[in-house]
Amino acid sequence: MIVHVNGALLRFTDYRRVISVDAPTVGAALTRLADEYRPLHPVLFDRRGRLRATHRIFLNGELLAPDQLASPAADTDSVELLLAISGG
Amino acid sequence: MPRWSSYEIPVDTGLFTPLGLQPAAVCRLGFNAAGRWLARHVISHRRLVAEYRTGVVVWSAQLAFDEPVGFFDADWLEMRVTGRVRGAGTQFECEVEVGGPLDTRARLQACCVPLRLEGDPALSGIPARLGSDVMAAFLPDEIEARPHRSPVPGLRAAVVRHGAALARGRMPFLIHRHQCEVADQWFWPEAISLAAGGREELVQAEAERVPVLLSALRTPVRRLDLLFNRPFFLFDEGAVCSSAYEWEGRLVFIHELVGSEKDQPRALVTEQFSLPTERAWD
Repeated sequence: MIVHVNGALLRFTDYRRVISVDAPTVGAALTRLADEYRPLHPVLFDRRGRLRATHRIFLNGELLAPDQLASPAADTDSVELLLAISGG
Repeated sequence: MPRWSSYEIPVDTGLFTPLGLQPAAVCRLGFNAAGRWLARHVISHRRLVAEYRTGVVVWSAQLAFDEPVGFFDADWLEMRVTGRVRGAGTQFECEVEVGGPLDTRARLQACCVPLRLEGDPALSGIPARLGSDVMAAFLPDEIEARPHRSPVPGLRAAVVRHGAALARGRMPFLIHRHQCEVADQWFWPEAISLAAGGREELVQAEAERVPVLLSALRTPVRRLDLLFNRPFFLFDEGAVCSSAYEWEGRLVFIHELVGSEKDQPRALVTEQFSLPTERAWD
C-alpha cells in the first residue's frame, strides 16, 4: 500500500512523504515502515509496541479506530499518517 | 497579588512596520515573556517539557493596541508579564504588556492548553491538566477556577449577522520550517502573519471597488482575536479565506485558516481596524 507521511513525522522518514510498503494489513504496514525507518519507531509505538494515541491513521481517507488496524489493505490502497498535536 | 515581571528590551527596526509595532512580533515577544515569567516563578519551559513531560499549545489569544508605538518613539520597550492557571489546571494564561512612552501599550492575553507528552521524539501529546507539583508553584491569586472562554465564536457570529459584507478572498500558503517551532509545528504567531497576508492580498484586489478597505493598509490594526483548533505542520498546504465587513463603525476581517481537510478551519483570526469616521474605541 502507499503510505503518506506528513508534517512533524517527515524528519523521521528522511523527508520521504510517499512510501510504498508491502504488507497485508494497515497495522503490519506501520510496523514494516517503522522497521525500515528506525527513528520513526519510538514516535509511532510505545514501549509495549502499541500505536500511540496521538496519531490518526486514515485508510483511503477514512479515519481508522485503533481496533481497525488489522484491516486488510491492497497494494493500491492509500494510508495517511497524521500527528494530531505536538507540545513544543 | 499575582506576580508580575518587568524588564526592558531595546527596539530594533524588525519589530516595526511604518504603522507601528508588528502584531506578530508582539506575540513572539509575549510568548518569550511568558516563558521568562514561568522560569522565574514556576519552572522553565525547557524543564517543563524535558522533565515534567508537559508541553503547552496556545489555544486562544487576544491582542489589543492603544495608540500606536513607533520605532522612533523610544530606545526601549517596557515588558510586563504575569501568568495564571485557570480551569483547574486545564489552562495556563499569560498577560503581557508591551509599553512605549506616554503609557501607550500593546496588551496580549494568551491562553495555553497543557499537553501530557508521550515521551517520543516528535513531542506528541494529548491535552491534560497541569501536574500537582507544577500547580503548587503558583500563588493562590494566580489560580482561577473559571476557564477562559474564547470571544472569537461570538464575535464572528455577530459580525457575520449584523455587519455589511464588503469583500472576500483566498490566499493559498505552504508551511515552511522557518515558520515552525521545535516540533516542526507552526509557531502560533504565524497565524497572524498569514492572516495579515490574506488581508493585504484582499485589499489590493478589491480596494478599487471597495475603497474603505484601504483603511486596513493605511492604519494599524487595533484588535486581534485568535482561536486555534488544530496546528499546521511542516509542508502542510493551507489557505487563508478572508472576509471583510463593516461592523459597528469598524472594519473587520475574519480569516479562516483552512487545511486540505473539509471540516472546521484549523484557526480563526479576526482583525479590527478603525474607520475614519470612528471617534472612540471601546
